[in-house]
Amino acid sequence: MYKDNLPHQNDLPTSRQLAISTVVALVTATVLLVTVVLPAEYGIDPTGVGRALGLTQMGEIKVQLAEEAKIETAEIVELQEQPKEMSLISPQPVSPQPVQAPATESITVMLAPGEAAEVKLIMNKSARATYAWTVDTGHVNFDTHGDNAGIDYHNYSKGKAVSGDEGELIAAFDGSHGWFWRNRSNETVNVTLNVSGEFTAMKRVL
Amino acid sequence: MIVTIGSAAIRGCSFFILLLLSGVAGAHGVTEGDQGYIQEISGTNIIPFMYLGAKHMVTGYDHLLFLIGVIFFLYRLADIGIYVTLFAIGHSSTLILGVYFDIAANAYLIDAIIGLSVAYKALDNMGAYQRWFGVQPNTKIAVLVFGLFHGFGLATKMQEFEISREGLLANLIAFNVGVEIGQLLALSGILIVMSFWRRTASFYSQAYNANTLLLTAGFMLIGYQLVGYWIA
Repeated sequence: MYKDNLPHQNDLPTSRQLAISTVVALVTATVLLVTVVLPAEYGIDPTGVGRALGLTQMGEIKVQLAEEAKIETAEIVELQEQPKEMSLISPQPVSPQPVQAPATESITVMLAPGEAAEVKLIMNKSARATYAWTVDTGHVNFDTHGDNAGIDYHNYSKGKAVSGDEGELIAAFDGSHGWFWRNRSNETVNVTLNVSGEFTAMKRVL
Repeated sequence: MIVTIGSAAIRGCSFFILLLLSGVAGAHGVTEGDQGYIQEISGTNIIPFMYLGAKHMVTGYDHLLFLIGVIFFLYRLADIGIYVTLFAIGHSSTLILGVYFDIAANAYLIDAIIGLSVAYKALDNMGAYQRWFGVQPNTKIAVLVFGLFHGFGLATKMQEFEISREGLLANLIAFNVGVEIGQLLALSGILIVMSFWRRTASFYSQAYNANTLLLTAGFMLIGYQLVGYWIA
């Protein structure tokens, strides 16, 4: 440090150079803000450059996710304020129950690009249900999971950009167990789900 | 002098960027922000990953603090270029290798080492190693080696994103290019501000205290990350 670190005057920029640099920086910042940052974070794209770069699409997805997260948080708060009422996502009365008679259900869900849907089975702990779902075209992301009044989210399996899945769902607890699908392809898709097993109801919750 | 882009870019963008630092898992497994976006997409998305890389660097205050330490007493563009390139080589290699080969590294420990790099550079600027040990460790090698750790730090953040393997290499390289762009933007801003400062008569006497602040920040980073490691 010390003596060898003193800047020589001719190594430093002049006052004029600095002023110009600062102005250029301000202008560049504004341009970047409008063409890159606002599209990528908020989907706000006044010039259209963001969409050409593929950044506005990123912002739109982020905004969509934020809104969905807000809605889900609000639903959870609502549920917590209604302790005794039965709601879509509350469990059936718990008591040692004999094995239920197998039920069979089928549903077809249409998803436009960007749309999501969620179908759940009301099941008791350790109940089993075999399932198979397919999409007729395009692909979907999926999240097989369960929840109840006390458990926010319990994941069974997840996948991205697939055209179908099948298996056996074994409920980890009393509650709602099922599938979340999101269409991230460019075309409208139809998801067809067939289930058979020990559940008391099938509901579309989203 | 360095043309363009920087301090005003930082000021303009930082407000928005700070609002949206990384993905936070919401209820029912809805993941928001950048992590949420990455979990929704598949395949090659070059420009979005470039953006994410730039955002990571510009909001990565531990990386920026190290950079500030490195260029603190560098006045010539050529010198700055050399050191920044060495840092870039360091962090690019470990970023790409770390993510592509899914090398597991504890994020807290890596981030603690990054904090150590900040403290190390501050002490170096203060002439501590010459004073205490009579040696001046090679500054270029130090920047390269610490750069490797900074890259691992970037890699662990990327691994948390759970990017799909499909198109990973292209996305990774795009992310890396973005990191370099972000680094350039941040550096330009830092240099504009520092150039104003360096022209004042009191720069030199304030420089020592500024490096003490940098050292403090480095120690705080180390402590913060180590505590995180122990309680996590």
